[in-house]
Amino acid sequence: MTNALPTPSAAEAGARRFTWPGTRVLVVDDAITIRLFCRQILEKAGFEVIEAINGLEGLEQLLQGTIDLIVVDVNMQKMDGYEMLREVRRQPVLSAIPAVMMSTKSKPEDVDKAYAAGANYYLFKPIRPEPFLACVRLLTATVQ
Amino acid sequence: MGLVKAKIRKTKTGSGASDDMVGLSAALQAADPAERRSAARRLGSTTGCEAALLDRLAFEHEASVREMLVLSLMQLGTQDAVRGLAEHLRSEDASLRNAVVEALEAMPDAVAPNIELLLADHDPDVRIFACNLLVGLAHPDVPKWLSHVLENDSHVNVCAAAVDALTEIGRPDCVPALRACARRFPEEPFLSFAIDVAIARAAEQ
Amino acid sequence: MSALASEGQGAEGPPHPLSDEELAKFSEFFYRKTGIRLDERKRYYMERRIVERIRRTGCRSFFEYFTTLKLNGAAGELEALINEMTVNETYFWRENYQFECMTRSMLDEIARRKRPGEPIRIWSIPCSTGEEPYTIAIHILEYWARADSYDIEIFASDIDSNVLKRARDGTYDERSLSRLPPQLRARYFKLVSERRWQVINELRSSIAFGSVNLSDPLETARYRQIDLIFCRNLLIYFDDVSRRLAAENMFEAMSPGGFICLGHSESMSRITNLFRPRQFAEALVYQKPAPSRGA
Repeated sequence: MTNALPTPSAAEAGARRFTWPGTRVLVVDDAITIRLFCRQILEKAGFEVIEAINGLEGLEQLLQGTIDLIVVDVNMQKMDGYEMLREVRRQPVLSAIPAVMMSTKSKPEDVDKAYAAGANYYLFKPIRPEPFLACVRLLTATVQ
Repeated sequence: MGLVKAKIRKTKTGSGASDDMVGLSAALQAADPAERRSAARRLGSTTGCEAALLDRLAFEHEASVREMLVLSLMQLGTQDAVRGLAEHLRSEDASLRNAVVEALEAMPDAVAPNIELLLADHDPDVRIFACNLLVGLAHPDVPKWLSHVLENDSHVNVCAAAVDALTEIGRPDCVPALRACARRFPEEPFLSFAIDVAIARAAEQ
Repeated sequence: MSALASEGQGAEGPPHPLSDEELAKFSEFFYRKTGIRLDERKRYYMERRIVERIRRTGCRSFFEYFTTLKLNGAAGELEALINEMTVNETYFWRENYQFECMTRSMLDEIARRKRPGEPIRIWSIPCSTGEEPYTIAIHILEYWARADSYDIEIFASDIDSNVLKRARDGTYDERSLSRLPPQLRARYFKLVSERRWQVINELRSSIAFGSVNLSDPLETARYRQIDLIFCRNLLIYFDDVSRRLAAENMFEAMSPGGFICLGHSESMSRITNLFRPRQFAEALVYQKPAPSRGA
């Protein structure tokens, strides 16, 4: 399903009709600069951003509030991104939330692992604002 | 009432024969995770058993046992423990790699002599992990090591990890290295952004 | 025992002794180390406490202080900071939503796993001067309808033998009891002197008090098959290794599926991967997974 994503520009154009303000994105990364970067991009585009520093904290945030999309790193202490996504997909109340995984790991098997864990899209680091935003818009529009 | 006074059990002391290193090392292979955890815990106070703990760590999949193996190696805090743990930074298993980063950053004195080697590793992933662990490492040379990465490492994600670390612990004397890094990767919007944040925080001092 | 102190905005002193960036760096570090999120709305209060620590340590600037704190691992200073940033206090009904969670949600789930005759075990650590274990006991007796069908054992531990002595004695002043509904005070306490109330004997004698260092596996080995632990505002005072040891020891002490309640500003997510967060209507708690959970 994720392979069939349209190109960023098409996705952006299509998604604008569906996305509404108040959509909440959870950004899970232990790097503060990544969290700030994502926050800046997403807030400018009208999304609400919630941050977590590792997978466990991400799960806590997911359980405590309504989250429309997860953006998650792979390598984090206490609970990595794969394990967090597996946990999310296991829990009925969370399992439908779409997720973008982002990582410095770029081998095909790394990408496969992300999808197997429950990611809906995969971005290589360092992320670029346009493809990142396009994919966020597409995935949030899809669920809504 | 439904409340009944509980009796606090007497602690069983010394479980005898199995406390020797050979017995405990064997118990690390037991089928029951509780038994493996118990053995891992006890080996944490026995110097010279790093190899046994590290061997088991390589293929232990029960999270609670792995936590204990890592914790015991942290408590031992020896050079053997550090080098063995650092080898696992190359593991394909994300949760193992991250458990290792966490353990290493808690052992500043034993880790410090190995940092330069890790930062020069041929594998960029290992260099990224080395930068990650520097964030939490309480050691005065951390800014110097990170500045060196910023000025010399050719991999954008390694530099990004170093910038991130400096965002938290940067000092004014790191600013030139941060600027140098920005000049080396002018086409990366994320890195420019991160460097601006790091400089703003470091320059405030 | 402690919570982030809430204090009004004062009028004295320079408006912002620390810059936004300094405060952001400090908050990030403090959170990383203690799991406590500092509330930006309490900026004035935080700054005053930090400035106080800078002065007390003889540092000449925030930079000097923060560098010492971060790079030299300054032993003891973090604890002093936590003490500055938090307020130590304990009283009946403190952070009541967790006890409501116990009687409305957790105990029912625990009871479902019990075989006939098997006790339900609850552990209050640190129990300090006893307000928490007695609050637990009263809540169960008053608000859990099935209390009479189970044997419920309450353990209460602290490392400090002085507070344990006071906990066993169970005598409190008005201030400690102010949140307790009056009819419950009448039911579970007797007036022993002017404005001093003592927990009735029947209740005092039903709680097993004992001295325990939570980081020591030999001491915690006496506690097993615990179904619910209240460990509020203790782990924030521990260093990284002791905190992990404490978590390991709680894990060992608990039954599979058992729950832990931490203080409201604490999070297990910075301490260990051994437990999973669990959201009930009343509170977020942590749960020991059943065995054979995948890696």
